[in-house]
Amino acid sequence: MRLAIGRRLAGVGTAQTRFAYGLVLPVVVVLGGLVAYPFFYAIYVSFTDRVVGNDGQWIGLGNFRYLAQSPAFLAAIWNTLVLVIVSDAIKLGIGLGLALLVNQRIPGRGLFRSALMLPWAMPAFVAFLTWRVIYQPIGGGLNLLLTDTGLYPEVIDWLGQRSTAMPAVIAASVWRGFPFWFVSILAALQTIPLELYEAARVDGATGWQRFWAVTFPAIRPVVIVTTLLSSIWTANSFENVWLLTQGGPSDATIVFPVLAYFGMQTQRIGEAAAVSVAMLPVLAILVFAGTAMMQQGEEDE
Amino acid sequence: MARAAGWTRRRMLGTSAGLGLLGAGRALAAPALVKGSKLTFWGGLIFSDKANKLLVETIRKWGADNGVQAEVVMINQNETVQKVSAAVASNAMPDALDLGLDLLLLLSRQGQFLAIDDLFESVGKAQGGWYDAAALATDTRKIAGGRTGLPFGITGNLLLRRNDVLAKAGFSKPPATWEELVTQSAAVNKPPFHALGLALSNVGDGNTQIGVLQSYGGRIADDSGTKAAIKSDATREYLRWVKGAWDKKLFPPGNTTWDGAGDNNAYLSGQTAFIANTGSVGIAAKAQDPELFNATLYSSLPAGPKGTVSAVGPNVRAIPKSSKNPDAARALLEHLAQPAFMEAYYADAIYGPVTKDQAKFKVFDGKDAIHAGLLDLVERGTAPAYPDLYNAAFADAWDNFVIPKMIQRVVIDSWDFDRAMDEAQKVTQAIYDKYK
Repeated sequence: MRLAIGRRLAGVGTAQTRFAYGLVLPVVVVLGGLVAYPFFYAIYVSFTDRVVGNDGQWIGLGNFRYLAQSPAFLAAIWNTLVLVIVSDAIKLGIGLGLALLVNQRIPGRGLFRSALMLPWAMPAFVAFLTWRVIYQPIGGGLNLLLTDTGLYPEVIDWLGQRSTAMPAVIAASVWRGFPFWFVSILAALQTIPLELYEAARVDGATGWQRFWAVTFPAIRPVVIVTTLLSSIWTANSFENVWLLTQGGPSDATIVFPVLAYFGMQTQRIGEAAAVSVAMLPVLAILVFAGTAMMQQGEEDE
Repeated sequence: MARAAGWTRRRMLGTSAGLGLLGAGRALAAPALVKGSKLTFWGGLIFSDKANKLLVETIRKWGADNGVQAEVVMINQNETVQKVSAAVASNAMPDALDLGLDLLLLLSRQGQFLAIDDLFESVGKAQGGWYDAAALATDTRKIAGGRTGLPFGITGNLLLRRNDVLAKAGFSKPPATWEELVTQSAAVNKPPFHALGLALSNVGDGNTQIGVLQSYGGRIADDSGTKAAIKSDATREYLRWVKGAWDKKLFPPGNTTWDGAGDNNAYLSGQTAFIANTGSVGIAAKAQDPELFNATLYSSLPAGPKGTVSAVGPNVRAIPKSSKNPDAARALLEHLAQPAFMEAYYADAIYGPVTKDQAKFKVFDGKDAIHAGLLDLVERGTAPAYPDLYNAAFADAWDNFVIPKMIQRVVIDSWDFDRAMDEAQKVTQAIYDKYK
């Protein structure tokens, strides 16, 4: 170990190493400029009382103290967690189920695969405005379906009640997001050698046993990466909540990005930055946990 | 919208340019404009395409006539805050722009705009004097050392009502009080036709409820504008009014999550009998549904036990200090304030007049119900935030929708009035404490 480090240090000054660093430098500069600078600057701004037109003063934890006593902020923590966990769990179930189904030799398989990608291909604002129309209490597709078929006689205000608003947002988010899970898992399924299934069948394994012993270990790394990415995207998603409920009713669907947007509306940039920065620990945990699980998976293999 | 008689767009542009030059020469000793210099103007997009087009064409023609390369960028008014924030931060503000009162006050406090007192004085003097609704609220002399905004239009809410439906129920006059509004609504309420189309959601329309609260004697803060004053018997009385209407199912379902177009859509689709709106719905109805337009009548907002609170919202034009062509910007602002342009502009826009001479324009002669309502608002409306003090904390409370959220606690979460008031009081005090 010490030898290896010594050898590495000895090589730092060589022309070849300098050339290698030179090649990497542009990427480092671009990453520093486009990722690191805005990231750390946002953190700095969250500790100031910056408003539009004024850089503001350093106020320490002032913005965070204000947020901590805000009912909307506390509601946003809970709602963001619920939205991420529940919608990702459902997306996993639907994505996995459909991927397993479409991976079978069924008629029209290609057509199904294309059709299932459509929600993902649709622009987000079109998708969520369409869902808003579907949820309309009067004339909305869902209520018409329920009342016309006699399944439920009353008109339901899907987005206007605490009990149904978040489920409605989750359903729309799942619809828009499940194709990513579907296509990722399907791609992983197609890399599993058929011989493994044949061997398991010869050994007398049941369908469930084949899934746990062959399929799941093979798709596990993909599921972890997909969970990680989807969780980050869902936690940062704005259009789904904004276009459906604006965070209401009574903060029942308020999430961090919408709260940050309200901060911008009041022209208090420091406060809006503090909302975004408050999300960072949870997202950082997700990133580190996901990375650790992927590394664990590679070592297991 | 009927255009002012005899005024074609071409004629108006030509006359406007000519009069503008004459007016500029007469009113102010305007410096000669630098030929070939550039000027960028950010205009606020409004609901009328005709008015937007007229503004753009007028500025371009003014530029061509004066040898100034005038570029006009029309900005969705919902995005003005974001665009201006980015422009201030990157020192990329235009030479002149349209903006609302809250942004004018905020940026004036930061010293972002040039003082244009002389321009304000000369335009007012030449046009019969400013209406108080335009002059008082936009007075930035205390916070910026001078006037920084030139008012060009007043917005505010009118009460729109379905006369065809209400007349059948025996109501020929508009409701004079909020209680009467509920009575009339209840008489024509037949779900899925829900009569009382007022927004209770976290959008600007939801904040109309602040005025209703104030007309019941409720307040956001005390007279000093530093201490939250939401919890009171007056607020309790107001909440009783809202809850009573809610329990009678007078509000359309979904109104606690409506977006900015929620009440417009409900009215235009014939689902409701009353809405509080700037008049944009009337313009849309005229184009899309003439029958509905003809069945619609307009009146000022009803009164509460303490009278009518109907806030006016002045829109202004301002010149950033960073302008590279301030002389041209001043000349343009003066040109846009000339009667020839404003008469044609008001005919298509949904603004009330800002000067007394503008009230004599044909569009405000009373034949057009929307503009008649807007003129009435200008003459009888209340100052922004009145009886509260319009300061940065009030604007913050407004943008955080403290009153719509308090109502949602009562009607959605079934909180009792005291609990809802306690939360709103605490949230509002935390907001006001930020500005101490």
